[in-house]
Amino acid sequence: MCARCLELTRRSLLLGGGAAAAALHTGIASARVRPADMVPLIGPGFRPTDKDEQGLWHEMDRVEEEIAGSNLLITDPKLTGYLRDLIGTVGGPAAKDFRIYLARIPDFNAMMFPTGFAVVFSGLLLRMRNEAQLAGVIAHESGHFLRRHMIRSWRDERRKTDIFSIGAMVAGIGGAGAGVYLGDYVQLAQLGTILSLFKYSRDMEAEADAMGARLIAGAGYDPIEMATIWLQLIGEERSSASYRGKHRQHGSIFDSHPSDDARMADLRADALDLKVPGKVYDNHRARYLATIGPIRQMLLDDQVKLNDPGASEFLIETLAQDGWDGLLRFYEGEVWRLRNRKGDDVRAAQSYAAAVVYPDAPADAWRWHGISLMKSGRSGEAKAAFSKYLTMKPNAPDAAWVRQMIG
Amino acid sequence: MRNWGPALALALSVSLGGCVQTKQYADVQFTLPQGDYKLLVLRPDVTVGSLTTGGMVEPRADWTEQARANIIAALRAQQAARGGNITIIEHRSEVPGVPAQELADVERLNYVVDQAIVQHKYLGDYLPTKRGRGLDWTLGADAVKLGQQSGYDYVLFLHAEDQVASTGRIALGVLGLAGCVVGFCAPNVGGAEQLDYASLVDLKTGEVVWFNVVDAASQVPGIKFGELRTPEGAAQMIERLLGRMKPGQAVQRAEAAR
Repeated sequence: MCARCLELTRRSLLLGGGAAAAALHTGIASARVRPADMVPLIGPGFRPTDKDEQGLWHEMDRVEEEIAGSNLLITDPKLTGYLRDLIGTVGGPAAKDFRIYLARIPDFNAMMFPTGFAVVFSGLLLRMRNEAQLAGVIAHESGHFLRRHMIRSWRDERRKTDIFSIGAMVAGIGGAGAGVYLGDYVQLAQLGTILSLFKYSRDMEAEADAMGARLIAGAGYDPIEMATIWLQLIGEERSSASYRGKHRQHGSIFDSHPSDDARMADLRADALDLKVPGKVYDNHRARYLATIGPIRQMLLDDQVKLNDPGASEFLIETLAQDGWDGLLRFYEGEVWRLRNRKGDDVRAAQSYAAAVVYPDAPADAWRWHGISLMKSGRSGEAKAAFSKYLTMKPNAPDAAWVRQMIG
Repeated sequence: MRNWGPALALALSVSLGGCVQTKQYADVQFTLPQGDYKLLVLRPDVTVGSLTTGGMVEPRADWTEQARANIIAALRAQQAARGGNITIIEHRSEVPGVPAQELADVERLNYVVDQAIVQHKYLGDYLPTKRGRGLDWTLGADAVKLGQQSGYDYVLFLHAEDQVASTGRIALGVLGLAGCVVGFCAPNVGGAEQLDYASLVDLKTGEVVWFNVVDAASQVPGIKFGELRTPEGAAQMIERLLGRMKPGQAVQRAEAAR
């Protein structure tokens, strides 16, 4: 009798495992969400009327107050105004209701909260090569709000945990009554519940992508930019991982976002659906660069100091596809200098030397150019570079030391 | 014959009543605020939610507002009996002479210090350097500055979270109890729970002089022990949390010696 019990349990385990694997498979290879099907589910000035959603909003008011008063925020009115205008362009019906905050966090991320306020990380501004790309990310976040993802996700989770609890209780009681222990079933059902939660979340990301592509196409940006963003993210992650001797993770079962490759393929198909043949799209790169110009050095500095040379090098080379400048060359040198492997000092020296050729080279490029020259015994040229540094930054904290080097 | 009788009896006796615990700590030199003291209470941090069948807490805006109003009323009544001057603010901009951002900084700092107190006084990570020293934490110069700018003697921070078992959760608990009859006994799925804590900061020194936690929980959904949604429940909570404030160890010893 006991052996039969075991048999039953083992078979049920295999069965359950197979079901979990199937769920995983369909999760990654799920059908593409078409932009045409993505209609906003709310209109302007939306306020929740259901109790559960009102509760969620009430909690979020406090969260927003904390975020709005956080000392991590970049509050430059030109930048925040620019972001507000952008979400006003690609925010669909809720365009006038959104709030958007810029946080100084050197990471590729942006997020939308249930009440319609978004937080953009400064690392996103560094990575975006033009306004169309930034609009793409913001439109994706707007999509989460317009498709009411937070409350849908909450209700789905509540329904699943409810069913699971009742199921676990009934299984336990039924099993006890029949004299069979069903503990393993309960364990598997729990894993299934978690897996299906993440599946739901992946579907919502796919919806937000399609909605976002539709929104930026409607605002006159080329929808293919959405796919370009993902291509760039995949490249950066690969580069970062390969430097650290690891492989980039592919769509693991606990990924809440769809696998990047699948996502990119869908976005390319979306762009084909949405693009108007013969229309000329402007990515507004000049306007974008002019806006982030004042903080671009800070953004690069924050990135390079993350001590992730794989990602930083990839990022700088990606940005340089639109043309090298003094700032990019200087920070390329900084990546090598801070990595400090064999031969990196020579690479860094070359980057500094290249940087100072550009009129926009920062003062620090001249400083490090001078130090590199000094090391290689070219003290005459080094002194000229130091002088240039002091002219550009007379109140530098190390001015006395540099003056001593000049002699 | 199944031997479920004793198990059922034990389960009933242990968990049907629910459980209310409080544990307070004070600075060794702490004396109860007396006379004409001025007490500032920052907007009490209150959340009331519904405990779903599956065990998630769903925040409810109307219940939270109701509970906050009840708590504020109960706090006013309790402090009036003590003779102190109490000001309860709704927004950070309501303290004359203190910029909202500075008040926010003190509030955030207190939040982190409270977390440290909970970690090292309540959750078992006791610090050997603080043994026998009562409550030994401070908000430092920022709190002293707040006192100088505002003229208050003390500031009280209050946190309360209450979860009310939904009908589905109660049904689940009933199902769990009923299961005891067939030998699958799950009477303790967990029901309503209330967690409250308060910290009192002396604005002359910046020190956290007193801290208290009330944890009231019932293993069986459907058992109640004072909901914050009702004025009586809120008054009971304030009494449990603030009503039995004791002076510090050194002060208690001095009083005993006298």
